[in-house]
Amino acid sequence: MPQTAIFSKLRREMPGLLFTLGLVLATTAVIFAIIISVGLTRGSVLYIVPVMIAAIRWGLVPALFAAGLGVIASAYFFFPPLYSFTIRDPQEVINLLLYIFTAIVVSQLATRLKRQLELSRRREIEMRNLYAFSRRLAAAFASSDIHAAIEDHLATVMQHKVVVFPARDTMSGRPRRVAVPDAVRALVDTLLRGNPEPAADATVHDEAGHVWLVRAISPKSTEFGIIAVDMGRQTQAGLDQQRAHIAQVLDDANATLERLDIARAINEARMRARADQFIEALLGSVSHELRTPLASILGAATVLGAAPALARDRKLSALVNDVRNEAERLNDDIQNLLDATRISSNGIEPRNEWTDPADIINSAIERCRRRLKDHRLSLDVPPDLPLIHVDSVLVQQALVQMFDNAAKYSAPQSRISVRARVQDGQMVISVADQGLGLTAEEKARIWDRFFRGARHTGAAGGSGLGLWVAHAFIAANGGTIEAASDGAGRGATFSIRLPILAAALAELEGDADE
Amino acid sequence: MNKSAPIVLVIDDEVQIRRFLRTGFELNGFIVHEAGTGAEAIRTLALRPVDLVIVDLGLPDMDGAEVVESVRAWSAVPLIVLSVRSSEAEKVHLLELGADDYVVKPFGMAELLARVKVALRRQSRAQSGEPIVRVGPLTIDLAARAVSLNDKPLTLTPKEYRLLQVLAQHAGNVVTHQHLLKEVWGSIHVHDTHYLRIFVRKLRQKIEANPNTPRILVTELGVGYRLAQSAVDPEAPAWTTADPSGVKSG
Repeated sequence: MPQTAIFSKLRREMPGLLFTLGLVLATTAVIFAIIISVGLTRGSVLYIVPVMIAAIRWGLVPALFAAGLGVIASAYFFFPPLYSFTIRDPQEVINLLLYIFTAIVVSQLATRLKRQLELSRRREIEMRNLYAFSRRLAAAFASSDIHAAIEDHLATVMQHKVVVFPARDTMSGRPRRVAVPDAVRALVDTLLRGNPEPAADATVHDEAGHVWLVRAISPKSTEFGIIAVDMGRQTQAGLDQQRAHIAQVLDDANATLERLDIARAINEARMRARADQFIEALLGSVSHELRTPLASILGAATVLGAAPALARDRKLSALVNDVRNEAERLNDDIQNLLDATRISSNGIEPRNEWTDPADIINSAIERCRRRLKDHRLSLDVPPDLPLIHVDSVLVQQALVQMFDNAAKYSAPQSRISVRARVQDGQMVISVADQGLGLTAEEKARIWDRFFRGARHTGAAGGSGLGLWVAHAFIAANGGTIEAASDGAGRGATFSIRLPILAAALAELEGDADE
Repeated sequence: MNKSAPIVLVIDDEVQIRRFLRTGFELNGFIVHEAGTGAEAIRTLALRPVDLVIVDLGLPDMDGAEVVESVRAWSAVPLIVLSVRSSEAEKVHLLELGADDYVVKPFGMAELLARVKVALRRQSRAQSGEPIVRVGPLTIDLAARAVSLNDKPLTLTPKEYRLLQVLAQHAGNVVTHQHLLKEVWGSIHVHDTHYLRIFVRKLRQKIEANPNTPRILVTELGVGYRLAQSAVDPEAPAWTTADPSGVKSG
């Protein structure tokens, strides 16, 4: 065994040694050239050059080899008697000893320098890996993200295929389906169940003859999960060496994990997942439990309102009408609340399709028919508006919110103007009223969640969610929404701006005619 | 529609909703059967004559879609779904399974009755083989493939006519984008909604008094189009409480 080790080491050094030999030969040639042309007698000091080059490029062994070759070459070529290895002059012997001493010191120094350079380069790479790792951890939301980050980090550091199996109860988000051999899976399962010792590492051979190392990431618990490393085909010796390397990398990783407080991050991710589930459940039950009775109240009110017995009595029908209006308002508030919860819990995923902007405006007006019946509505929509690629229902809901606001905060019989135009390559839909208007301070805050101006609270009821929801819906469609007003009592204009995909549009207009 | 009082089957697990629907329908001359579960509804449908079915999506024993599917497997009875807002994909799915129309909860009785009447009229037209569909000033003769507006013949391109024809076959009921695209352009174009937008606009230029505020060919946002029932049914029904005349445009 030691013999094979030495042999393999020699094989590794071989290219360096061959180059060194070449260098010494070249130096000899140079010294000869100098002696012939200049008449120099003692050129052997130049042999220090290949020693230094070998030390810096290939390390200690080639450097010493170069020093030895230098001694031999000097003795043979340059010290009398020439072309023999004997040295006559004691002075030359001292020179040679001095040369050997210098060569050894220089190669030592050069090798140390080289090692330090390599170390700092490796440190830098490690630092970069670690930095990338911690950044990913900071961005991680679910514990599955954290495990993916750990997996990638370890794979980079170890240079092997690495699979991380999260501890069972920390699983959140998508389940991971990683293809690993059955034998590995079985071993991982036993480790996850907590037996045997989590720190103990074990190896398995798969069908392809690869060796897999399986162990808990942290020796203290299985909290961080189990790791399986595909080490390829390995001899026993290589395996021992690799195993030591992996243990070292994992120690580092564990220190990192502890420092970055991964345990807490995983816990938090788990809590968030539970909170999300809770919100979903709450949303479902709120929408059902509140809306079902509302549907009955509203439906019953409309039946009552139409009943001949009631229709004749003006006071009673007015009362029934109130019931209906209030129920509708309540329904809108619940809808806003649900939309707001949906926006803040998991965002909005628009279902975009090509839509005629006029269709959106008309449906919004249709939805607000009852609310707008006391106002004079004027429509200014050109017949040739370009199609827009949006989630038409979301835009309509935002527009309904604009109409609702206009109707609530302006006097009956005042005018509400709806206008659609193409402006700066955008579709602009605006709703202008002649109502309460906005002060500068109100204008700055109307998009805040739950904001309601004091003047507005006095004028009409509402949750302060409507504009916030409208804003989020328009933003989800890649648009913006803005308010303009000349001041209190001078009306307000709300404008929705949506992108027009001009290039895509030109293509569409062409191919529908086929 | 039968000469006698039409019979409606209300499928809903909420007693209160069944109660107001029963009262509402009975005030308008319907005979009402009720079912609290999907299984009960299917039993009733098999045993008794029913002219129209109202089905709520949230049933305790069956998904509303399942009810629609199993009814459609053996019956052509008009079917209206009560659905919740903001689920356009679900509405489209139900229409594709064979529901005739939907009403969004919460809804007024007038709205539901209008849909019901349209569905019943369509059923009776289908049974009698009546080829002429009248939508306000628009007349579509499906047998002669002729369209006229205010009694003046109208020239349409073949695609425009095909589009109007499919809508007329379902006059008053909503027809999904996918269905229209498949019928007019073929199934490979079911996702090319922009074809529809462009042709509907062209068609509206020809048939609407004011193409910008259409009254005949109206849009059901995110779902499809319908030939409007207000145009189908010009005389204001006696039971209307909401006043749709309040919005003025100009």
